Amino acid sequence: MFGLGTSSIGSVNVMTSDKGGLTNEQVADLAVEKIVSISDEAPAHIRQQANQFREHLKYVLYHYLLLARKEERGSIIQVLESSGHKEMAEYIRRL
Amino acid sequence: MAIAQAMCNSFKKELMLGTHNFATNGNAFKLALYAEGSGGKSSTTATLGFGTTAYVTTGEVATSGSYTTGGVALTKVAPSVATSTSTATAFADFADLSFTTATITAMGALIYNDTNGDKAVCVLDFTSNKTSTSGTFTVQFPTADASNAIIRIA
Repeated sequence: MFGLGTSSIGSVNVMTSDKGGLTNEQVADLAVEKIVSISDEAPAHIRQQANQFREHLKYVLYHYLLLARKEERGSIIQVLESSGHKEMAEYIRRL
Repeated sequence: MAIAQAMCNSFKKELMLGTHNFATNGNAFKLALYAEGSGGKSSTTATLGFGTTAYVTTGEVATSGSYTTGGVALTKVAPSVATSTSTATAFADFADLSFTTATITAMGALIYNDTNGDKAVCVLDFTSNKTSTSGTFTVQFPTADASNAIIRIA
């Protein structure tokens, strides 16, 4: 006889925002959740190191996300200005 | 609790009947959002759990932004299992979903097989109402491994 030991469902993570998209910090959190998972059964010192790595990773991701958004806005502004939409370009510059 | 996280009992049986195919070129699966209380389009609260057998409209969240009633298609990641041990866990995964410019309040979700009679796979409980207001509502699936993946069979 063959028996299946367990069938399990994992827990999803839900992230929401109001009046706009997710913030850089929220996106960094989502990325870190995917990259680092720490077992509850891991020894305390391993968990501590993993948590420190997690925080460092989040910090790095946050700053590069910030940079990516800024650079993308810069590209959009350039396209708008070169096609004569200076007012719209100014709106985006102020975001 | 009206929405209780579970792998649906009917799904376990249907696996043996070959009803569900999670291969990337297999069946189409969808995720529908549900609310408890006043968040759903229906005035009746959703009741979902291990006994759910198929997609239901009661308590489903109304269309808003990029979310549409009936649920949104999931992108499958091919099922996987380690081959080095006799007690390995097989698991299936989906890509994260993000609904933009949406006003949504949801307490949970149902994953169902859109190809085969809307048959239920599992119920996800968000543990509290999650709300986006003219914003983004993101459902992130857990890490795809033997300990965390969304659907696991050992």
